[in-house]
Amino acid sequence: MATQSGVTMTISSRDRVLMAIDHEAPDRVPILLGVSNATGIKMTPYRALKELLGIDAPDDYLYDWPELGTAAIDEKTMRRLHSDVRGVLDLEPARVLDRNRDRPPHDDYIDSWGSGASEIKPGQWFPMVHPLAGATTIDEIEAHGWPDMEDPTRVAHVADQARTLAGENRYAIVATPWLLFPLERAFAMQGMDTFLMNMALYPEFAEALLWKLQDVCKQLMGYFLDALGPNVDIIKIGDDLGTQQSLLMSPDMYRRVLKPIHADWIEFIKDRTDAKLMFHTDGDVFPLIDDFVEMGIDILNPIQTSAGKMSDLEALRDRYGSKIVFCGAIDTQRILPLGTPAEIRAEVGRVIDILGPGGGYMLSSVHTVMDDVPAENILAMVDAVEEHGRGASR
Amino acid sequence: MPDDQTGDGVNDSLLDSLYEAVLAGNADIAVDSTRTGLGAGAEPLTLLFDAMIPALEEVGRLFESGEIFLPEMLVSARAMQASMALIRPFLADAASARVGVFVMGTVAGDIHDIGKNLCNVMLEGAGFEVIDLGVNVPAADFVSAIIEHHPDAVGISAFLTTTMPEVAGTIAAIDDAGVRGETKILVGGAPVNQEYADRIGADGYAPNAVSAVRTVKTLLGI
Repeated sequence: MATQSGVTMTISSRDRVLMAIDHEAPDRVPILLGVSNATGIKMTPYRALKELLGIDAPDDYLYDWPELGTAAIDEKTMRRLHSDVRGVLDLEPARVLDRNRDRPPHDDYIDSWGSGASEIKPGQWFPMVHPLAGATTIDEIEAHGWPDMEDPTRVAHVADQARTLAGENRYAIVATPWLLFPLERAFAMQGMDTFLMNMALYPEFAEALLWKLQDVCKQLMGYFLDALGPNVDIIKIGDDLGTQQSLLMSPDMYRRVLKPIHADWIEFIKDRTDAKLMFHTDGDVFPLIDDFVEMGIDILNPIQTSAGKMSDLEALRDRYGSKIVFCGAIDTQRILPLGTPAEIRAEVGRVIDILGPGGGYMLSSVHTVMDDVPAENILAMVDAVEEHGRGASR
Repeated sequence: MPDDQTGDGVNDSLLDSLYEAVLAGNADIAVDSTRTGLGAGAEPLTLLFDAMIPALEEVGRLFESGEIFLPEMLVSARAMQASMALIRPFLADAASARVGVFVMGTVAGDIHDIGKNLCNVMLEGAGFEVIDLGVNVPAADFVSAIIEHHPDAVGISAFLTTTMPEVAGTIAAIDDAGVRGETKILVGGAPVNQEYADRIGADGYAPNAVSAVRTVKTLLGI
């Protein structure tokens, strides 16, 4: 349909996304923004955007979670950003949200898992509360007070929200329950350096903790997917496996310890939904993309072009372009915060020229648009897709 | 400080065991070997220079060549630190063991410290006295530390693009206070690169802990 030359087509955002995922050329490269933390915009640039656009909308937060600091973007702004997706999220239990809302100002934020964030200066929260920091034994895993995933307030809103979006049939629906990822959860429970060391020092403990975390994640994912029913196009999960220069752990350790857990996780999800599976992992993960394809990952996010071999978009396209869909690739370490609008337009054009033709690419920022990104730059990015992404995706 | 007694009071198998323990990241064996060696009258500098430092250098080589990754490097650093805690008291008056003083910190507004801590261990292994200011360090504290410790080099780390401007701000504060003198300033952290380092007037940039040691040694002509 999109290949009919000379005919001006109007296709819905949802079709645009689905075509790109199916490696068909849509009318323009789809834009994925504002549907999760990793495709989101922090509150400071969101406020600046609203001001620049003259949009009056509340300062709401994703996951009703101010300490995360990522904006729940209003519908008018989402349209101005040409975002082709709308998000469905889970929530922490109402009593946990209430408890945190009512706590004394500046006290640690603690989630239902017992992990949390501390405020190091006003409004700046970092994940520094790790309830299993000292644990090295299976007994300590068993003894931890694991979260109650039966609490209905976690997903009470999900079915209606997804059904409404599906009824409109306008945007692709991206569902992202918060951090249902075993490795990231292990970092939250123990601290990143501690858990990485435990993977080397106490491999049986580390593996047992990952499987336990996944079991708990599965309980919530089951309810979440039940609530979504058929009204979802993309499920987003992930685990950060890369660093600025290479992998977080050796390919051997990944394949021995974590890959079976990821494979099991993906199978669990795919058994319960027909939605495409998006896997988020920061850093240079080039050496693991074959593993991702083998496990059935449909979409890889965020393509951190500033990290190692992920900068080689031609190699990514040539080796994996027919096997996996790329989502992301607009740099947030240099281009978006420090570039001029003209430089941003040029970079968007460059990325689309490489990854866009024939579908298989959806544009997004590489992770959250942070406080240092000017609103003008965000608009330059999305407007460049409108200008450049129309011809280039054919 | 006795004359160099390299080899006295310590046999090769003990040095091998300490070397292997640091390389493999086994802190218990590293500590046991260090204790046994010191108990048997081994020269602390022998343990340091003939076992621990070579092991750490091998760890660095394996990391840079992609044969080991963060988990293995972190446990080696931990084993090194555990042994160093036993050796360090003996180094206080061993000026010959020290190649320089290094002040290190993560900038204000940032609490990331895994890379910084690895740098500390590698630098200490390379003979530096490391004064770690920790994380979320205001520029003024870097200035005070320079006045107090007269370091040969200062390391400034930032992990986020949003805190990276603090690196430039810290260097500016050091310059404004007029305390930079001959002190070399190294910068690092995920979003930092050579171009940024040049632009903000740093003397050097290092993408990882191994490179940090190499860079600071070059800058200081060691």
